[in-house]
Amino acid sequence: MSKVKLATIWLDGCSGCHMSLLDLDELILAVAQKADLVYGPLVDAQEFPEGVDVTLVEGAVSSQEDLARLRTVRARSRIVVALGDCATSGNVPAMRNVVPVQKILDRVYIKGADVSPVIPSAGVPALLPQARPPREFVQIDLHLPGCPPPPKAILAVLAELLEGRAPKPLEVKFG
Amino acid sequence: MRKITIEPVTRIEGHAKITIHLGADGNVERTQFHVTQVRGFEKFTEGRPYYEMPGITARICGICPISHQLASSKACDAIMAVRIPPAAAMVREAIHCGQMVQSHALSFFHLSAPDLLLGMDSDPEKRNVLGLAEKHPEIARDGIALRKFGQSVIERLAGERIHPSGIVPGGVARPLDVVVRDAILKELPNAQGIAWRTLDLFKCILDGFPAEIANFGKMPTMYAGLVGNAGQLRLYDGRIRFRNADGSIAAEVDAPDYAAYIGEASVSDSYLKAPYYKPLGYPAGIYRVGPLARLNAADCCGTEAADAELKEFRERFGRMVDSSFHYHYARLIEAIYCLERLKELMETPAILDRHVRARAEVNAAEGIGVAEAPRGTLIHHYKVDENGAMQWANLIVATGHNNLAIGRSVEQVSKAFVKGDHLEEGMLNRVSAVVRAYDPCLSCSTHAAGVVPLRIELIGPAGELLDELSNER
Amino acid sequence: MIQKTKAISIRIEGVLVPTREGKTILEAAREAGKNIPTLCHMDGLKDVGACRLCIVEVGGSGRLAPACTTPVQEGLSVTINSPRLAAYRRMVVELLLAERNHVCAVCVSNGHCELQSMASSLGVSSVRFPYRYPALAVDLSQERYVIDHNRCILCSRCVRVCAEVEGAHVWDIMGRGIHSRVISEMDQPWAEASTCTSCGKCVQACPTGAMAEKGRAVEEMVKRTEAVASAAARKGSRI
Repeated sequence: MSKVKLATIWLDGCSGCHMSLLDLDELILAVAQKADLVYGPLVDAQEFPEGVDVTLVEGAVSSQEDLARLRTVRARSRIVVALGDCATSGNVPAMRNVVPVQKILDRVYIKGADVSPVIPSAGVPALLPQARPPREFVQIDLHLPGCPPPPKAILAVLAELLEGRAPKPLEVKFG
Repeated sequence: MRKITIEPVTRIEGHAKITIHLGADGNVERTQFHVTQVRGFEKFTEGRPYYEMPGITARICGICPISHQLASSKACDAIMAVRIPPAAAMVREAIHCGQMVQSHALSFFHLSAPDLLLGMDSDPEKRNVLGLAEKHPEIARDGIALRKFGQSVIERLAGERIHPSGIVPGGVARPLDVVVRDAILKELPNAQGIAWRTLDLFKCILDGFPAEIANFGKMPTMYAGLVGNAGQLRLYDGRIRFRNADGSIAAEVDAPDYAAYIGEASVSDSYLKAPYYKPLGYPAGIYRVGPLARLNAADCCGTEAADAELKEFRERFGRMVDSSFHYHYARLIEAIYCLERLKELMETPAILDRHVRARAEVNAAEGIGVAEAPRGTLIHHYKVDENGAMQWANLIVATGHNNLAIGRSVEQVSKAFVKGDHLEEGMLNRVSAVVRAYDPCLSCSTHAAGVVPLRIELIGPAGELLDELSNER
Repeated sequence: MIQKTKAISIRIEGVLVPTREGKTILEAAREAGKNIPTLCHMDGLKDVGACRLCIVEVGGSGRLAPACTTPVQEGLSVTINSPRLAAYRRMVVELLLAERNHVCAVCVSNGHCELQSMASSLGVSSVRFPYRYPALAVDLSQERYVIDHNRCILCSRCVRVCAEVEGAHVWDIMGRGIHSRVISEMDQPWAEASTCTSCGKCVQACPTGAMAEKGRAVEEMVKRTEAVASAAARKGSRI
């Protein structure tokens, strides 16, 4: 039986969920036995490939680039898992949502510069008006909240998905 | 004008890309390093109670949340105008040592080792930590074990491995338990063994990278890092020392005075601002931070084994080591230092004292906290109103200080390795590898351990696609 | 002599439950050891039926009613758990989470929050409604306490405990519908509320991190709701 094709990406997040995945310690090697990591932190791939079985998505959708990448992930993955609070509810990145984008850029790059105040625009993606959870843009198959989700929760989900089963309802907790 | 875009570059918060501009002769004219993410922490925390800042700013980074929590709680300590109990300072520093060890382990083993041990030009499909585990299983296991040790120190002292709750304004939430202290002392020799044999291995393979050493950001700059009263390396507390490329000391600054020496410039093509040394202006005031810079700025480490290694390092490469390739070496020396320092702290009886938290209300309108994150100097600067509501925050994060240096390094590597009309995968990897050497901060250095997913397009003057290179199989 | 009310019985999921006239379905169920989830209920305070978590199915038609404000009647038949009720309760929690800004990760009540626990126990792992992300304030003016409207679920326990137990009536709810908000006195900063005695009952009664003791960092606000609830209950029995 061929290995499951697994991928991970992160959008507007802090990578804590990926670190929690690495907190599986040696068990990550066991996961790698059952799954081909076709994109993400442990694998060399330049473009998100077609035919991915499971993708773990960390982070909120905050920029045009995040949105484009999320849509590519959805189109090319069978199962998309929202990993962590940012991907589930917006969490800390979404705290910026009550402030207009222009005010943020102004504070950081104009008022927050000693010299050469300028708002970056060349070669950087535009910010969306708000940082919002992925499910508001694409269908998400499973949410795993937590900031970050505990490694054993991630393992429980992966273990089921890698065997081709839908994960049992989890004991989950925001935060 | 021909332009090559490398997108994405990995290992900095969010995503970055590099644009390489070629002149008519096909050689690299200039490069741009674009950071493509901005979060807005400095703005959206306005109105929050200041004592929530350690918890909130931890979420800037999932690899080094401790750094932010330490700098943040130090800023809160200053707002409260308290001197935290000695045991609390020791516990905080011990947590910090745990963090440095796990972060440096991640950087070396999961991110850079595939390049360094499998080779910059090795098969991209295998050039990652899994390929490393296949070819050098013991080394991969060492890396996982060392990271695990650091993480478990954090967990036991601060409550959780990631975004823990135990570092608070005024000190720490819980005193150190003697059972935990004893367990850590028991585990230390194994962790130290890993660090030593990794450095030994690295020293052996170093001769295989002459071109990289010569071109990975080999340039004179100032260096900045925290030092103690005797000029020794300090990570939790100390004064910020700026040292010139020639070794003379430019300035030594107390944390509250940072703003007279460090300014920030906005750039039009990156969401990452560029800090600079104010007395020299922008962009002449370029300086580097992080493991290499800290070892340059300090006189010594202050612990035995680390100082022996530092001596050897300087004998081999000079007193002021100026190639950014040597960040890798410096990172390993620092890991050894942190393990020794952790042992010192655990062996200090006073660290078990039960009083670990000072309590006070708002006593100052402003607080500045500085600490050394794994990647460099980190500054949190808060202003509050009389009720403790945040009015203003300035965060200068570690990788930010290196922004100018990374940009110049990318240019240097591109000029050395990129030849106009003929793209090679190894060239691509080296451009990424120089960015990787700085271990750029702010999360997800694990985006593509060992190999950066890259696509380079060579666009002709009429906009036609002349050549394309990707590491897609 | 204490006047006893008439003894009657109801059926909860077919099981005969003895109780007394004048009690609510919630009281009868809990006294029989059967739990119905609640958020705005607090022992010792008058029930208001604000949160709708306690809705149950009543009578043959399965009509929905809030257990905390519905009195028992002889022979009443009640269903307190069913797939339909579970779905509605999840929806209530999701609506609460979407309405304001509940960032559990950085909240002072993380790990000790009744809304967070309710979400966990009902199996809410995501919110189907678009988050509103309203701009709401934090009032840090009071010397000892803080109210963060981002975390408020308008349960009104603070209003009731202050009015009924402390007798100060500092808090009220102003506005209607989505614009409702908790205010102190005439919508003034808390520090200017002259009737406030700084007793802190509101803080302890608050089920979330909306009200907290100043200086409590993330995860540190552990409420002593039981202490306040038993004080409230004792006061009620003296009336």
